[in-house]
Amino acid sequence: MVLRLRGHQYSDAFSALLKTAALFVLLSTPAASQSNASKAVDLADGPAKPGFDITRFRNAGNGTFQTFYVTKTEPLRGALKERRVAEDTRVLVTETAAGYLALIMDQMAFHHMAEGRAGNQDWLATF
Amino acid sequence: MVCNSGTSLVPVVGGKLHHFNYVGLYDGLAVMQDQETKTLWGHITGEALYGPLVGRRLTQTSNLLQMNVRQALTVDPNMQIAISDREYFAAGTHFGSAPGFGGGRGAERWAPNNPNAQLSPVFVETLGKEDTRRPRMDMGLGVWTGATRRYYPMELLRKRGDAFIDQIDSRNVLIYVEPETATPAAIFVTAKVATLDGLEVRLDNGTVVRMGVVLDRRGRQLPIERPQQIFTRWYGFALTFPQCEIAGS
Repeated sequence: MVLRLRGHQYSDAFSALLKTAALFVLLSTPAASQSNASKAVDLADGPAKPGFDITRFRNAGNGTFQTFYVTKTEPLRGALKERRVAEDTRVLVTETAAGYLALIMDQMAFHHMAEGRAGNQDWLATF
Repeated sequence: MVCNSGTSLVPVVGGKLHHFNYVGLYDGLAVMQDQETKTLWGHITGEALYGPLVGRRLTQTSNLLQMNVRQALTVDPNMQIAISDREYFAAGTHFGSAPGFGGGRGAERWAPNNPNAQLSPVFVETLGKEDTRRPRMDMGLGVWTGATRRYYPMELLRKRGDAFIDQIDSRNVLIYVEPETATPAAIFVTAKVATLDGLEVRLDNGTVVRMGVVLDRRGRQLPIERPQQIFTRWYGFALTFPQCEIAGS
């Protein structure tokens, strides 16, 4: 069974988020602004972990931020040599079964999740 | 996220791969949902919050460490990188073909070293009862093990000279601010005294921490063991780990 919460729980929360945190995204990236309305979240009908209050959950940004499914990696040194990253570019580094993997922090601020497979093991990075 | 926390998890439940998406906020933190069962999950602990998989927890594999490219290549010259189509900036040049967040500078806006970051109302209305021992947007290093949940305020790290030895679960741990990136970090060590000296931390056992790696007396890189840790805002850590310890208090 799927429960779809309505009303204030699905207020236009992401619009408020953008107004207060990143209004300039609306101004500079029209494509993004077209998909800013937060989508309703299909929720199972529980159960809840003890202490978890589903009425405080908000769908802010649902449908806007998309998981980065990693299918291709490349040597970081090569990306630096080609100047697609700089020495001071901030990265998030996770350790997969195949070794260290860097993700660009500014991209992860959009994706929030990156998922992939390396060394025959699946990995998930969240930010 | 605003709280700037990140973790590394295994997206496998009961032997089956699950696919996760960001779907919203709870306690001011990102909530993810797996497509397979619609269960909501906390992204710091990997714990199921709501749905049929409540009681399950994703395995944490390592820390998601914040560093820059220079430091990353010091840690591992053969490190790989994955670059998506989303916009970002490098050396002032715009890259990426698809819209990102914050015009491609989203992380910078919310970085913990931004003292002016504010929690927007939509985040605030998801908060539970806040722990007021520290200011909501206080910055620090959150560390946790099976037995310990401890928050190190950046203010404390500064007062302690940006490097000191503490104990977690009867083990010595170096708590320091990485000079290259001004990011706090924790590393298990055997030393008893740590001193910041320029761009490196000198330990009384002769080892040195430089650019995020531990070097022995001959300059050889040693394996590093780290407790789980996040560079985070106080509210995020305190709501995730209620009644956590605060170092120095």
